[in-house]
Amino acid sequence: MALAPKVLKLFLSFLFISLMSFSIIRLIPGDPVQNIIGERGASEERIQDIKKSLGLDKSVPEQFFIFVTNAVRGEFGESIVSKQPIWSEFKVLWPATFELALLAILWSSVAGLLLGILAAIKRDSIWDYGAVTLSTIGFAMPIFWWGLLVIFFFAVSLGWFPVSGRINVEYDIPYRTGLLLIDSLLSGTSGAFLSALKHMVLPAFVLGTVSLAFIVRVTRSSFIDIQKEDYVRTARAKGLKSSQVIFKHIFKNSLPQILTALGLSFGQLLTGAIMTETIFSWPGLGRWLVKSIEARDYPAVQAGVFYSMVIIVLINFFTDELIKLANPKMRDQAL
Amino acid sequence: MNKMNRSFIIGSILVSIFVLMAVVASFWTPHGYQEVIENAALLKPSLLYFFGTDDLGRDTFSRILVGAQFSLGIGLLVGGLAILIGASMGVAAAYYGGKVDSLSVQVMNAIQAMPSLLLALFVVAILGPGVINTILSVTLVSIPTMFRLVRSAAQIEMSKDYITSARALGASDWRIIKSHLFPNCLTPLFVQSAVCCSEAILNTAALGFLGLGIPAPYPEWGTMLSDSKNFIETAPHLMTIPGLCLLLLILGMQLVSDGLRDQMDPKLRNR
Repeated sequence: MALAPKVLKLFLSFLFISLMSFSIIRLIPGDPVQNIIGERGASEERIQDIKKSLGLDKSVPEQFFIFVTNAVRGEFGESIVSKQPIWSEFKVLWPATFELALLAILWSSVAGLLLGILAAIKRDSIWDYGAVTLSTIGFAMPIFWWGLLVIFFFAVSLGWFPVSGRINVEYDIPYRTGLLLIDSLLSGTSGAFLSALKHMVLPAFVLGTVSLAFIVRVTRSSFIDIQKEDYVRTARAKGLKSSQVIFKHIFKNSLPQILTALGLSFGQLLTGAIMTETIFSWPGLGRWLVKSIEARDYPAVQAGVFYSMVIIVLINFFTDELIKLANPKMRDQAL
Repeated sequence: MNKMNRSFIIGSILVSIFVLMAVVASFWTPHGYQEVIENAALLKPSLLYFFGTDDLGRDTFSRILVGAQFSLGIGLLVGGLAILIGASMGVAAAYYGGKVDSLSVQVMNAIQAMPSLLLALFVVAILGPGVINTILSVTLVSIPTMFRLVRSAAQIEMSKDYITSARALGASDWRIIKSHLFPNCLTPLFVQSAVCCSEAILNTAALGFLGLGIPAPYPEWGTMLSDSKNFIETAPHLMTIPGLCLLLLILGMQLVSDGLRDQMDPKLRNR
């Protein structure tokens, strides 16, 4: 498929995202300026200043144009609460969430694939029932409660892992990649890596659980479907080893479905990150977003909407491409 | 007993327990849900206080009972609203087609572009927290699933001969929609409605947990969980019980839906 329509589609999505995050500040009932001033009141001059800093003194199309050009450069103005440029906050917070989500999706996809395949191959065995029960409960599990339970057992009762934060306070790791597991190794401080890893285990475990339930279910059901196909029977009849049948024939053909599930779980992961970061006081994007919403920090919320939608659109785009790579039949389909 | 019966029966039992709790709570609770009992803060579960008391000395059992009313009430209300709006838009989109169809599909795509909780959060951010705003935001994010479901079911019905013959007989648009199209789209709607309610309950609790849902004095389970965070060491029962209720209620609704789906679609029965 030609590149142009894809790029056009992405471009349209971004335009739509900009429009949405642009409208947010204007959908707020009442005057945003009044909201910022609060009840103490302010002089006329101050009100004009605030209007100017929010760009509200210009016409709406002009405002939108300025918003889009700034958004492209990653500039969303200053946070009302911290008075820092939002981009500089985002730059530090984003790697924390990324690191957490990456670890979560890694363990949950490995465990989910293994468990799903095992359940499908040993159909109606104790493994199958176990996997199905686990994924049914995992689907219904409120992630915030799961997080509290995990903290209660592994951090409070057993004391194996720390309750919150990213690393012990005594370590001062210089910012390089923002990914603390890598930065702590690079810094060469002994114990820093272990401390960072220990802080990461519980949040990554909790965050991955929801995707685990989903991946187990999808892997199992697509494996069961494909096992019934004629070419699988042929492969077995030819006398191929069962490992060859499983990985060359069944796994390869169920990959598109599994990849779709993985792409969808990234979206869930983003929502899950809001919860997980709040529970574990993890200094990432999710907690920042909740705090900004609580403080009615509109420029920050606006940036949060923009960034999170950009991430989702990009992830969807790449999953679509990956699925096409995995399944040649879908390559020539017009979207 | 086949598998569908099992999940349907377990699910119905779970849901019935909570319905019973909500009904009981409307007649009687051991204490008022706002009533502060003196010298009774953070008590462990006992015969006097079945589920213990919270940090202010309020009876957790009473609060859980009233919380069942909140969760079930919001779940049913949101489910009902989402079905009403989503289904009527879906039927209309399928029946009229053309511009009506493509416009409503675009709107739904836009809503679904974001994960539901994130969108609900943004809506609350714009409107401000509160009971009505929680219901509005959770409803908004539940509509697209219903819309898609009904639209695709109605599109299949539209291509069938009986619609054409109804038209040939001179039936009005409204009559065709009301007595032919809509009744035939009810099956998938029926199955999905339990899932829709359970998601509404989960999203409401999640908003409550983040401090942006049902506000403080009301005993919503998510808000109760959020309050219990600080007493995880001293009073773990405060954290265990509301969460367990949430899990069981959501699990029950999903099992009911699974059972219904398997029953209505025999092809899936042995999955």
